[in-house]
Amino acid sequence: MIDSSQGDTAPLRASSLVKGRFQMTWSTVKRALFVFAALLLAVPAAAQETPVKGGTAIVILGSDPEHLNVGISTSYPTAAVGANIYSGLVRSRADGRPEGDLASSWTVSDDNLTYTFTLRQANFHDGTPVTSADVVYSMLQIEAPNHGRFKTAYDQIASIEAPDAQTVVITLKAPYAPLLSLLTVFDAPVLPKHVFEGTDPLTNPANDAPIGSGPFKFANWVRGERVEIVRNDDYFLEEALLDKIIFRIVPQDVARSTAIEVGEADLLWGFYMPPADLPRLESDPNVNTWTGITIPALYFVFINTNTPGLDDARVRQAIMYAVDREQVVDQAQGGLGQAGSGPFGGGFAYAYDESTDFRTRYPYDPEKAKALLAEAGVSGLQLRFVYDSARGAFAAAGDIMRDQLRQVGIDLVLQPAERAVMVDRVYSGDYDLTMQSFTSGGDPTIGYHRIYRSAAPGTPFVNATGYSNPDIDAWLDQAGGLADQDARAEYYGKINEVLANDVPVMVMFDELASEASSGNLRGMRTLLDQRDGLEFLWFAPR
Amino acid sequence: MAAEGGGNGLALYALRRAVNAVPLILGVVIVNFVLIALAPGDPVMSLIGEYPAPPEYVERVRQDFGLDKSIPERLWLYLVNVAQGDLGFSFANRQPVLDLLLQRLGRTLILMLSTVVVASTIGLFLGVIAARKPGSLTDRGATGFALIGYAVPEFWLGQILILVFAVLLGWLPAGGFRSVRIEYTGLAAALDMFKHMLLPMAALSFRYMAITTRLTRASLLEVMSAQYIVAARGRGLSENTILWRHALRAAALPVVTVIGYNFGFIVAGSALVETVFGWPGIGRLMYDSIYTRDYPVLLGILLFVSVTVIIVNLITDAFYAVLDPRVRY
Repeated sequence: MIDSSQGDTAPLRASSLVKGRFQMTWSTVKRALFVFAALLLAVPAAAQETPVKGGTAIVILGSDPEHLNVGISTSYPTAAVGANIYSGLVRSRADGRPEGDLASSWTVSDDNLTYTFTLRQANFHDGTPVTSADVVYSMLQIEAPNHGRFKTAYDQIASIEAPDAQTVVITLKAPYAPLLSLLTVFDAPVLPKHVFEGTDPLTNPANDAPIGSGPFKFANWVRGERVEIVRNDDYFLEEALLDKIIFRIVPQDVARSTAIEVGEADLLWGFYMPPADLPRLESDPNVNTWTGITIPALYFVFINTNTPGLDDARVRQAIMYAVDREQVVDQAQGGLGQAGSGPFGGGFAYAYDESTDFRTRYPYDPEKAKALLAEAGVSGLQLRFVYDSARGAFAAAGDIMRDQLRQVGIDLVLQPAERAVMVDRVYSGDYDLTMQSFTSGGDPTIGYHRIYRSAAPGTPFVNATGYSNPDIDAWLDQAGGLADQDARAEYYGKINEVLANDVPVMVMFDELASEASSGNLRGMRTLLDQRDGLEFLWFAPR
Repeated sequence: MAAEGGGNGLALYALRRAVNAVPLILGVVIVNFVLIALAPGDPVMSLIGEYPAPPEYVERVRQDFGLDKSIPERLWLYLVNVAQGDLGFSFANRQPVLDLLLQRLGRTLILMLSTVVVASTIGLFLGVIAARKPGSLTDRGATGFALIGYAVPEFWLGQILILVFAVLLGWLPAGGFRSVRIEYTGLAAALDMFKHMLLPMAALSFRYMAITTRLTRASLLEVMSAQYIVAARGRGLSENTILWRHALRAAALPVVTVIGYNFGFIVAGSALVETVFGWPGIGRLMYDSIYTRDYPVLLGILLFVSVTVIIVNLITDAFYAVLDPRVRY
């Protein structure tokens, strides 16, 4: 048996971004200097501060949550509120390390197949104790059938059992490295069995007025305007510092940065941040800003290998040479990214391979692109670039790509489409190039394997390139099943080698997360997901 | 009809119009339903979220929301439900559509009504002073202003107003319909809401103010050359009396028509303005629902808009009788 406190899942960090050889752009230098200066200023100040209890923080959401049940949905705003009302078995610290949430400890069997969790003494907000029966019920009856991400974990699970009231045993079919990162409140929240039993979980009234066991209790929801949560004084871990959090719904992106600027809100996450406004917020003395990596997110371009011309790997390589991805980061993403380093980005050290780094393998070289196109005998290629019109970064990247591809004789036709239409078109194969962004939680298995694994046409949010390679599929499965990171790195190395040559996907950049907050708000990003751990927030006295 | 006169005739007329409205509304509902159903984009994908859901799960969600049935089948079910006062269940909000609409109706109505009142009053006033001395400086000022108002899009104006009055001057809140940090009660709450309403109302009013100004001016100029005005002048009435008491009344008919007609456009404009200002009304619900392909909510809103336009037209027609004694129902 391996004790959990030894941390058999090592920190999943973005170390390779720094480790890998990469050209620093001026904006990265400026940002680095800025961060350095901020550290010099912030460290002594922070050292004197002790957390203060009380107060209300206003956190911005870009759209109304559909409901607040994290167990039946992967929606961003739903989880933003729900993660602070519910608890999971484990939670991830900001450095990616898993620690007990409802579970006080866990053990893993030597064959990596059996995980045994011991629960803490905890109560739901209605006073009922949390037991292993609630955990098993939530996972089997609510999350396995209804939660997209938990379902992928559940496919690897043989059984979930409750031998006694404080113990949960999860047995896997085969070793599965990302299990722990899929047992957090975002994927497997523990819901009260007594509230959900015998009802349809999709329409249970508790979805709109949730009863959890987390640091905050649900208080009030005015649809379209706000959701309010208040401190849970009966919380099983350290109590929240703030009295109350108000999630304010601000649908228009410019209005969000304005709300922070004029002091009508206290916290704005990168997911809802208009990148163009970040420099303005950075220069505002009343606002604190931060950029960095939290949960890896990859922006990439699917290349439809069923399009005549694009079926030739040399043409896809030509596109890699023809597009200056550094420029896309600087201009389309306001510098908030690192140009793509490989099929799995730079967020996971063991899945990154310096020898196949796309930045050195495919530098910006239009002449080489032309030569490759000539070699493939392709000329006068006209390609449709289909993208979600609501995503400003996609549109800007499209403009840059059109100019750059024109220089090598490829005519890119921009076809913005409303999101619902874009999803229909892309995943039915009605496109030539399309830009997408996927996130991958604490493991590349969760979000990135699907970009390269063979997929049936018509399934949304998987590999839509038509590229199918049985070797890659097998290696992905093997890399996903291993817990040992060196062993995983070996498989990822093979995968990177093949994909660097075949390039069914042009990896554009790893997104840098950002944040803007009131000058005296503290305690952000204690946990891995920016939305999680709002119980650590507090206001420094002005 | 013409000979009867009096309130009785008007009531009968209103009843007849209401009965006539039924097939009209039915037509509107059917056209809307078919248009939305034929539009590309699958609501199930928005419901599931950005994750590769297995096909059997997608199929289950489709069945849960009745989206697996054919369009004629769904249309028939919808019509039967609407006839019973059931507007359906929102996919995205997991709430009955009627509840959603009622929660938001008040906020949109207060914004729309104040916009109509403000835009019409100021527009009428500007139109009159412009028509008083055609070609004068005031005329050119008012027409110039109207021309700009005509051309400026609401969402752009809204952002500029926020920039000036909320960010630079700090006089008014940047968005929302009430303060979030402090909770007011009673009169203070009303005042707080009024402060939040000023900017969206201004953004929404501008265009309709411009339309009313131009129309009032044109209509007045036409009336001012009519024989009875010449006669009034001949009888020695002051120019102000002629303008405000005689000419305006006659000139108001087309203006009232357009004010009523604009009502529908104000609802459309509110979708943009409510989004810019984070005003949680029907307009924003419409915007969100289009994005998530929430058919029942969209249909409910369109139904609400068409019924409103029909009612407003009825009120407009009734107004004719008040304004022009020659009109009788």
